[in-house]
Amino acid sequence: MASIELDIRIVPPREKHPTIFRTFDALPPGEGFTLVNDHDPFPLRHQFEATRPGQFAWTYVEQGPAVWRVLIEKSS
Amino acid sequence: MPLAVTSAIAAELTPEAFDAACRDRGLDGQELVLDTGTEGVAAATRARTSGARVLAVRAVRLDLDDVPALAAVSARFGVPVSVPPDQVGLDAVPALAIAFARAGGQLLLGQRTDLGAMVALAEAIDATGDPASLGIAWEVRPSAERLTDATALILAAGDRLGLVRLHGGGPEQRDQDGRGVGPLLAELALSRFQGPIVLCPSDPARLPRWRAWLGSTTSAGCGHGKDPRRLDLDVRDVEPRDRLAAILDAYRALGPGATLHLTVDHDPSCMYYTLEATEPAGSFEFRTVAHGPEVWRAEVTRR
Repeated sequence: MASIELDIRIVPPREKHPTIFRTFDALPPGEGFTLVNDHDPFPLRHQFEATRPGQFAWTYVEQGPAVWRVLIEKSS
Repeated sequence: MPLAVTSAIAAELTPEAFDAACRDRGLDGQELVLDTGTEGVAAATRARTSGARVLAVRAVRLDLDDVPALAAVSARFGVPVSVPPDQVGLDAVPALAIAFARAGGQLLLGQRTDLGAMVALAEAIDATGDPASLGIAWEVRPSAERLTDATALILAAGDRLGLVRLHGGGPEQRDQDGRGVGPLLAELALSRFQGPIVLCPSDPARLPRWRAWLGSTTSAGCGHGKDPRRLDLDVRDVEPRDRLAAILDAYRALGPGATLHLTVDHDPSCMYYTLEATEPAGSFEFRTVAHGPEVWRAEVTRR
């Protein structure tokens, strides 16, 4: 099956995190998506840790300098 | 879901120079806008040999005389050609399918945000003998339309959706707050859309902003107040990717007891979680003093 990719670069700032959590929450357990961003989204990781502890895995696929890709998987 | 920007925003640049600017911006490539006819084919050939990353070709109009040439460009370069909406009637769709199938190319027919028309176009494509040679280029205009039907439109287009042209994003990101771009991107991701998203200005009047945006890779701004116990920082005009660094720089410049007054256009709780994870426990106090919906203000005091 084709992978899920969410490019957050074009989403208005206020909607970025809600869009990411909306995508994550819609995934079935064991599935993941690749988040694409123009900076290191580590604040988001802290927010995930605080609001969805133990429910996700975070793997950097590409780390700049212009593009960051993170595979965010939902624990099964 | 590669991200591209239309070459129309800097038509004077060679495809190679435009590609370099896209690369600096972290974009995956460009939509190459062509005049139709033999001149267009020659320009496409030059672009291809320059090594520029062309994700899609755009024909500004579809003259039936130019169809064989466009189909050849698409086949030779292995990228789809998109055309604006309403260039041809649905009755011309079968002949276009035959021409592009014969050449081995793909034509993406422009479609507005209109569910009925999207369904009709999808049916017309399926009714041809060569549906794989055709697809849909959805023209999304968040500044001018409501995207409430995004899920239904994505379903109606199905795997015929080859490209999304977003009239916005880029320097217009903030102007399109609350216009449905976030939910649209989430729906596209969940539908496993793989095609390119092409950014273009929502209005020709915005071209200068787009050119400046493409040419800049950093921006930052940090308003230092005169009171050493107070630092004001409004990150709304700072590029999203530079915001965190601007905020952390400002926070780390605070002396003990000083307060950073932050103004942002989104919920700042991610900043709170970041400080909590990166700074020593109990070393700061974080208060959100204005809670949107347009503007959030937070005060961070360093102990």
